Order: sequence, then C-alpha cells, then structure tokens
Amino acid sequence: MDGVHEVLGRSALVSLTATAIALMLGVPTGTWLALAHRRGRRVLATAVNTGMAVPTVVVGLVVALLLWRSGPLGDLELIYTLRGMILAQVLIAAPLIAGITMAGLQALPPDLPDQLRALGANTTQLVWRLWIEARVPLLAAAMAGFGHAISEVGSATIVGGNIHGQTQVMTTSIVENVGKGDFDDALLYAAILLALAFTINALLTSVQQRAAAWAQS
Amino acid sequence: MGAVLKLEEVRHSRGGREVLAIDALELDAGERLTVLGPNGAGKTTLLRLLAGLEAPSAGHAELEGVRVAGADLDVRRRIGYATQRPGLLSTSVIRNVELPLRWRGLAQSVRREAALAALDRLHVAHLAERKALSLSGGEAQRVSLARALAVEPQLLLLDEPASGLDAQAHRAFFDDLEAALADRATTVVHVTHRAEEALRLADRIAVLIDGTIRQLGDPASVLREPADATVARLLAYDNVLSVEVDQQAQVLINGVPCGITSSLDPGPATLAAWAAAVRIKPQGAAPLRATVERVVQGPGHWHVTLAAIQPLHAYLPLGQTPPRVGESVDVRVDPAHASVIRHSPRVAHRRGAQSAPGASR
Repeated sequence: MDGVHEVLGRSALVSLTATAIALMLGVPTGTWLALAHRRGRRVLATAVNTGMAVPTVVVGLVVALLLWRSGPLGDLELIYTLRGMILAQVLIAAPLIAGITMAGLQALPPDLPDQLRALGANTTQLVWRLWIEARVPLLAAAMAGFGHAISEVGSATIVGGNIHGQTQVMTTSIVENVGKGDFDDALLYAAILLALAFTINALLTSVQQRAAAWAQS
Repeated sequence: MGAVLKLEEVRHSRGGREVLAIDALELDAGERLTVLGPNGAGKTTLLRLLAGLEAPSAGHAELEGVRVAGADLDVRRRIGYATQRPGLLSTSVIRNVELPLRWRGLAQSVRREAALAALDRLHVAHLAERKALSLSGGEAQRVSLARALAVEPQLLLLDEPASGLDAQAHRAFFDDLEAALADRATTVVHVTHRAEEALRLADRIAVLIDGTIRQLGDPASVLREPADATVARLLAYDNVLSVEVDQQAQVLINGVPCGITSSLDPGPATLAAWAAAVRIKPQGAAPLRATVERVVQGPGHWHVTLAAIQPLHAYLPLGQTPPRVGESVDVRVDPAHASVIRHSPRVAHRRGAQSAPGASR
C-alpha cells in the first residue's frame, strides 16, 4: 500500500489540477451566461444548474463508459489513470463554478456592464473588471469547485479504479480501509483529507474576506 | 461651426413598441441640449443610442459624420457618459477616475494628473484615496461626473446626474457642473425631468414626450410659449387650465374674464400661469370669484389653493396676511407671468382625464 504522503500528494495533484481546469472552463462559461442575451443562453444555464446537482458517481460512470478501452475515447487510454480522474473531476467541478460565477455576476448592478462600456472598456477590459467586482463570489466558486473535487469518491473509484501506487487517492483509500475494517487508517486519512481541505479553503477564505472587507471599508 | 452630433430619422422599438421617434436633431460643437421629459418618455434610451450602447431600430446617430452604433472603440471613447446611478467600482476614488484613462492607454503619471484635476474641478480631490463605495450619494455623483469629464470627452451625456440629492446639494452640484464646463467646448446632452435643471444648464431645450420631440427651442422661448398643456406642466407651471378666448380676445376661466387677453383665435385654449401670477383681490375687485380651499406656508411664501371649478394656485408674500379657508375672494391673473396656448385636441383629451382637483399640480 502507498504511504500517506503519496496518496495525499496524488489527491492534491488531481483535485487542484481539476479545479484549475474547471475554473478555466467554468468562469468564462458563467460569464457568458450572465452577460449574453443570445438564444440558447437559458438552455445552457439550465444544463449548468442541472450539472451542479448530478451525483459524482453518475459522472464517473459516464466518463468510464467514454474512456473504456472499447468506448469512443478508448484510444486515449485514460481509463484508470490520473488524467482520466482529472477529466471526471473537471466535469464535476466546472458546472458548479459556472453556476456560482453566473450568479455572482448577475448579483452586480445590472447596468454595470453598460456603464463600463460607456466609460470606454473593450470586451476584455469589461470582463476583467466585472471579475474583479465579483471577486468574492468567484473565490467562493473556486472553493466550492475544489471542495467538490477533493471530497468526491464515486468518479475517483470508477474512473481511477483505486489502483495502489497509481490512482489511489484519499477518498478511495478511506473507502478501502473501511471495507477492510481498518478504521484507524480510515480515520487518519479522513483527518488528513480534512486538514488539506481546511488549509486550502482557509487560504482562499482569507483572500475572499479581505477582498470583501476592502470594498466595504 | 457645423453640427457635431446629428440624429436622422431615428426610430427605436422595444418589445414591439416604438419608444423613440426623432426625425432630425443636430447639435453644434460646444452646445448644451437638455432633453426634458417625464419618466418613461425615452430620455435614457436616447442617451444609450448616442453612447452607442444600443443601435436604433432605424435611422442613425452620427458623431462628426461617423455613425455611433457599431462604431470603432475610438469613436465611443470620444463620448463621456454619467449615468443616473454613479456606478462606482470597488476600488479607491482615484482609481475609479483613472480607469477609463488607463483603458485609453495613458501613462500612469498622465492619468493620475488628469484624474486629480477632474476631481478638483468637482471639489472632491480630497476624497481621492477613499474607497469609492464608502462615499455619500452626493460625493459619489460628483466622482462619477469627474470620471466622465476626466477623459475630456467631445460629447458628454448626462442622465439625471444629480438625482437623489437634496435641494441644497442639487444646487451645489449644478454650480460645480457649470463651472467645470465653463472653459470647455464640450458638447453636452443632458436629460432630466426637472425643469429647473434644464433652465439653468441648457442652450436649447428639447421636450420629449412619448418618445417624440414635442418642442425644441431656447429656454426662454420654451418657457414663454410652451407648446401645449403637457409641456407647460413639465415646465412646472403651477396652473395649467382649460380656458376660452372670446370674440373680444379676453381669456375666460369658467366663462369669466381673468384679466388676460390673447391674440389666439376665439375658442378653447390653455392658460399656463405661475402661482405668482395669480393675484388675490378683495371681493368686487375682479370678475373671477373663487373660494379659499387651503393655505399652507411654503419657502418664502403662502401657498393658497383656490377653488374656482378648476383649482388655482397662488403665492402670497409671507409678510402679507393670507385669506382664511372658506373665504370668497376675487382673482386676477397677471399677464406678465402667464401664457395662453393654442388648444390641441390631444391635450384637451388628456386634460379631461386629469381634471380632478389638484391634477394640474
């Protein structure tokens, strides 16, 4: 069996990478959903909101079927790999991040985008400024995305396979130890997982609350 | 000097309803136009079209011959826009004012100097390092205006920039606005529903009602000869009454001469009179009789409401003893402070709908 630090490192790598990619996909999608007036916006918004509620085990099942050796993406050989697990976690975290981004931007004064355009902002300047104005909910989106990714076990088990030395992460280790009746190790992994989640969220919360306090003071 | 801003055959619809229809409007360089209209008249829509935030459904607005809608960013950046809500960002005041300059690629030292100068013109330079979201309403409005002025716009659009301010702050704001514009050739389009703003800022007033320009002219002529009863009410005339002009050119209120003659053809007309024009006389001194309904003390005057079938409003100096409620008095209207307007069927219809006591106020 792997050492704790290896499993912990793997968990952090998978979830932080997945969160980073999900932010790159989710924030622009949420921004488009908040600002666009085009047809299809409502359908996509509904899809994003639905995606926020999909059980991770269902995401894992779909991704596994796609990545299975005989599946449509089998040639990529991602099943039972960390990259496959990252893909699944991106699909779990991205809708959450997009949904919170959309809600955060929609909570800004509705005429703010037009005011920025009237001040001479181009599209990039406009979006960047709106992100700064919505930094508190955007940080909440990052925290929620990371929290969702690191805590999920369904897709990690199905897509990663909990292979020792390769794809075993903290959550799948806890499940395995509970299955074996080894509650001491299960509790140890749980405590470490909590500590990891706490540390990263404490960091993000500190930034978020400082940002909120600065604007209000 | 040629027209800087031109609107031609502009039509704009929203939700299947036409909200703006302006056949032609031109502004010369440095000219200040106030668009006066009630809520929902299409004032903000007009500014949004001029700012290039929306494209008109038909027709076009041009700034120096270039169509604003869909124009390059360079054209839009020649326009400054101070909206009704200050729309300040969650950063310091100075950074708020600097931001449009930064977007225009100005160097840090240049934009800092320009931003401080703009804040100084509006007497808020001392707030430069404050958080913008911690400002009072009046301070925020001034900073918003400074931000619009800092880019030295060729065309400045003002959407009720002093709304929500108390009377004293409102006056001070316009004093500073006038001073800030005094040494500049900035063309200004200012929209408001308050006549006093229009009268103090504008070179010309366009009265916008239901999306169309009902009257266009210099402030003195618009004030002296409002086009109809609706315009007269917008200009804050205290008394807007249905009257008759008889064969002897006398203006009759309720069939009784009120002391004014008119060159209009005999028939129905509208009388617009300031409360100061309504003179209260002892009984027998004038033919028009009225009953005192209410007397309240206003700023520097007694406000007397009289019932003479149509309600009349009169101001008396505070030093004068006001009549008692219920007392019968005679009334005469001073022609120097009143205007007789040609009757228009549409106005007559509206007046009918608003003929309840007090509706003219």
